Amino acid sequence: MYARRLLPIAPVIALSVLLLAAPSSAETFSPKEFIESLGEETIGAITDPNVSERDRLTEFSRLFRKGFDVDTISRFVLGRYWRRATDEQKVKYQILFADFIVTTYANRFRQYSNEKLLVDGERTANKRDTIVLSKIKLPEGPAVRVDWRVRRTGDNHKIVDVIVEGVSMAITQRDEFASVIRRGGGGVETLIAELQEKLSADD
Amino acid sequence: MRLKSELAGRLSAIGLVVALALSACATPTADDPDARTELTAINDPWEPFNRAMFEFNRVLDRALLRPVAQVYRGVIPELGREMVKNFLDNLRSPVILVNDILQGEMNRASETGTRFLANTTVGLGGLFDVTDIEFHSEDFGQTLAVWGFEEGPYLVLPLLGPSPIRDTIGLIGDSFLDPVTWYTHRTDRHAISWVRYGMRAVDRRSRNIETLDEIERSAIDLYATVRSLYRQRRSDEVLNGRPPQSVTMPEISWDEDETAEENQVLVVTK
Repeated sequence: MYARRLLPIAPVIALSVLLLAAPSSAETFSPKEFIESLGEETIGAITDPNVSERDRLTEFSRLFRKGFDVDTISRFVLGRYWRRATDEQKVKYQILFADFIVTTYANRFRQYSNEKLLVDGERTANKRDTIVLSKIKLPEGPAVRVDWRVRRTGDNHKIVDVIVEGVSMAITQRDEFASVIRRGGGGVETLIAELQEKLSADD
Repeated sequence: MRLKSELAGRLSAIGLVVALALSACATPTADDPDARTELTAINDPWEPFNRAMFEFNRVLDRALLRPVAQVYRGVIPELGREMVKNFLDNLRSPVILVNDILQGEMNRASETGTRFLANTTVGLGGLFDVTDIEFHSEDFGQTLAVWGFEEGPYLVLPLLGPSPIRDTIGLIGDSFLDPVTWYTHRTDRHAISWVRYGMRAVDRRSRNIETLDEIERSAIDLYATVRSLYRQRRSDEVLNGRPPQSVTMPEISWDEDETAEENQVLVVTK
């Protein structure tokens, strides 16, 4: 089925593979290097003084979607309610969640924008996930311990969770969303409405 | 004697709070097994009471603590604030030391001991940190956790904030272990204790203004967010930042989720 449908675009795929093969070969990039280069790129982008606030957010958003597996995160965060949601709810939720998480992370990372990211190791979490260990050095106080849960899908590395001083962003968000849904009577609709409201309030 | 009666007072106050909470709301029930598992995991049978306490604390924070912390940060130069922090940390060191030992963490105990001796003497009563040993905190709630005590139901105390049963017992334990508590009670200098608590609150709050503002701004359900943050932070503290023994923490069901997802897809395509 799929093979036949893909046939017409096969030359295009072949060409792009050739073009992309050199820089993005997975074997040359360890999860550690992935975090290092993404960190550098992000810090470079958000601290560039010649860029307007709006462009900065756009650029951050682009890098975020490139570095984070937003789809996996959105499903994890909805937890058991994901399976209960209708297809329509899933689509609505995922669109809202992507916007929500980009804004949230942009604001959080901004606090660290002038700081230095020091990657100092990695450990295996399971056969697909690696935890990259890093520290963010602040001008005041002790360094902040930040762990990145990096998942390998095919030739790509993507972040699925950020753990700051032992606090997982994904788990925190999942607990919060579960509470919103539970208090709203158990339907995903409540969460969708709350996310909508939150996003329109931020604009 | 005085310490005992003071403590009895505190204990009965906490007892009252718990009793009120228990009577205020019945444990929620759920027919759905998934929902029941979720409620067990949340372990917050006094949620309505806790939410009310949380709001009360937030109002106080907005009206008093946050503004004071802001002024404190704006008026006192960094060096001064650093000295206050050093002094408060040093004052807590004896309690931290005892808890290090009770947890069998001898390396950390010797770090705490060395820091305390050096800073109390050369560091002029703790105003300066003359060592290059990083400060770490410990408390009796963490010691209980290391000993195998469960966290127990979640509880929000007035003024003190999130403090599940185990950590509430820990607070009482720490005030017993603290030489400063003994001193102030013996000599009837209670003001010292109050000033110390106040300074500690302001010092900590002044270092979290932006972080907490940001958490408040992005939260949809702030209470649930703080509850989750508190618990995760506490388990990390109990482990002293070391990764848990089992690599696949049951709580992070990244795998389980995926498997369920894949199973579903399989069923659909069949």
